[in-house]
Amino acid sequence: MTITAGIDVGSTYTKAILLDDDSKIIARVLNRTGYKPGEIAEETYDAVLEMAGIGRDAVSYVVATGLGRFQAVFSQLGVTDLTSAAWGANALFPGTKTILDVGGQSVKALRCDEKSAVTSFRLNEKCAAGTGAFLEKTARYMGFGTEDIGPLAVTSTLEIPISGVCTVFAEAEVINHLSQGVAASDIMQGAIVSLVGKSVQLMKRVKMEPEVTLIGGIMRFPSMVTAVRELLGIDVNVVEGDMVQYVSALGAATLARYQLEKIRSDTDVGFVGVR
Amino acid sequence: MSLTTSNTPQGAAATKDNSSIIGRGNKEGNQLFRDWYQELTTAPSRGEHSAYVFVMGSLAEILQSFGIHTIFPEVNGLQTAVRHVADDYIAQGEDYGYSTDVCAYVKADVGLQLRGGDHPMGKIPKPSLAVYTNACNTYLKWAEIWERMYNMPSVTIDVPGSRADGRHTWSGHVDFENDLKYVRGQLDELITVCETVTGKKFDIDKLRETMHYTNVMMERYERLIELNKARPAPYSAVTDGTVYLGVANSLRGRAEGAKYFTDLVEEMEYKVANGLGTTFEEKYRLIFVGVPCYPIFRRFNEMFTEWGGAFVGSSYMWFASGGANTGFQFDLARPLDSLAEGLLVTTRDAMDTMFFSNRNIVDAIEPFGIDGVVYHPIKSCRTVSTGLADNRRAVIEETGAATLFVESDHMDKRVVSEAQLKNRVDAFFEGLATRRVRQGAGESK
Repeated sequence: MTITAGIDVGSTYTKAILLDDDSKIIARVLNRTGYKPGEIAEETYDAVLEMAGIGRDAVSYVVATGLGRFQAVFSQLGVTDLTSAAWGANALFPGTKTILDVGGQSVKALRCDEKSAVTSFRLNEKCAAGTGAFLEKTARYMGFGTEDIGPLAVTSTLEIPISGVCTVFAEAEVINHLSQGVAASDIMQGAIVSLVGKSVQLMKRVKMEPEVTLIGGIMRFPSMVTAVRELLGIDVNVVEGDMVQYVSALGAATLARYQLEKIRSDTDVGFVGVR
Repeated sequence: MSLTTSNTPQGAAATKDNSSIIGRGNKEGNQLFRDWYQELTTAPSRGEHSAYVFVMGSLAEILQSFGIHTIFPEVNGLQTAVRHVADDYIAQGEDYGYSTDVCAYVKADVGLQLRGGDHPMGKIPKPSLAVYTNACNTYLKWAEIWERMYNMPSVTIDVPGSRADGRHTWSGHVDFENDLKYVRGQLDELITVCETVTGKKFDIDKLRETMHYTNVMMERYERLIELNKARPAPYSAVTDGTVYLGVANSLRGRAEGAKYFTDLVEEMEYKVANGLGTTFEEKYRLIFVGVPCYPIFRRFNEMFTEWGGAFVGSSYMWFASGGANTGFQFDLARPLDSLAEGLLVTTRDAMDTMFFSNRNIVDAIEPFGIDGVVYHPIKSCRTVSTGLADNRRAVIEETGAATLFVESDHMDKRVVSEAQLKNRVDAFFEGLATRRVRQGAGESK
């Protein structure tokens, strides 16, 4: 059996996936990235191998992605999270043309073709507004943790607009709402809608066209997906459960298989990336 | 400036004969530049006058004919950024009262003036006058700062630009002739101010001499740009190009400048004839649009060279060369009329290069064999940055070229995020690689 691996060393979480010959997921593991991305990449990779009951020598090719990809020294190839997102989204939803990836520290909108090549992309600029950090900080101001965001927002009955474009300044807005007796759930929902508004702007800038696939850790919150659907007015693809966090790792593992096949067929048209 | 690249070129092995010619341009350029700053430092002790001028329309020919030194605040500013001390100067400018939104060149210069001209390259003399065109809207407000600080005259040369995209008039056309008269009249006013400041009479033969040297420089500079059509390109239009720009501005109208570019063209012709490139394997040929990222100048370039990306063209080498990119030749039989015409045509071209850069880029893509266009808008300068997004769209629509849009600043490291830049650059090259693979497989882009 030929096994390939993808590891996504993201700003907040590090994810690893193993694929078998049929591109079926053998194992997947997620850890918080923390402050030592190199160490956590090693730990996460070893953990996924342990889950599959195999050693490193059983894996034929490893592709790393995410901002910390350069720290995954055991990988043979490193690609940006844009490329891995395109490969992952297409592996799950082959008709994907536009992807919105909302992660902990970045939001990305990209367009790709049927062969997973990225044709256009836009990222948030030097600002955390519109990223997962915006929601995390909003939750934290109100005494909640990251995992409370989803359950909190679905109980909202009234959406409170959060107009601030700055994650730091939004704190003042949140405190103001709380002091006026607004429910935390409504503030949370307002933050989600604000984030979605900024994300959709990026999607428009890449000339979004269907099918649209949503990925990234923030998409595990149902309110987020609902807000995107409502704002776009079209249906969107979202993989169920926490798999939505693994899409880029899946893309890396899928790309690893492609790369391996090219190498084995001795053709000179393999994907070009950096280790 | 210490902006040299290594002298070991890509391509054929260096031989004994070429060891003296390859890398000469960067080496001599750096030395000339240091000498020039030293000359400025000691100018007041010799009782010599200095003028603060700008890269787009310095009028060096007239000023040099009076023996007035030209000082370029933009060059002073970028030197502080390359040497990683710009933030101190900028902070001083902000403490003085200028907003974070104001051009960082201006704030660094204010800091420099407040320090009495202390600069990493030497001591910058106080100005006897300032001369500037309207090519940059900030120039006008900038000069007003010096007027207040030093109570010296400043001369604005108002140069009419293009009335609309692609609509130029030339000699013989009524609009052009009117524009020419307008500019010519302002040159007379400048000469009067120079006479007052220096106490010297205007000498038209000295003007002819300075214009002759500029003619040589401009002819060679145009050839230099042309030579980078070769594969591999003999120089980087961003790193090496900045050295060349430094000399083109500082030694304009002088024999040393003319000789430098004559030698430089000889070096590049040699490299082209021998298939010599820069220091890495050239895989992708790029055009750079905007002003370089000086706070991480070397690292910024490495993000591209690591992928084999070579900057073979740069809009900066066009609009910041004082019109040298056009190769304009002054008619020395009618120096002042010709100087006015040159100023009109080249400043118009510089403004077009900023505002209608899509024209030049589209025209360069095929002859320079361009794989991608890199847009680098800067927070400091809305003049050159506003409209780049539309410009990019126009280039894509007309040519289908691969493009990258990365924003930072030319001076202020507070708005330079290397990690964000790198991720975008890497994604850009992944796209270029995919394009190339597909083109190799006979697929469309």
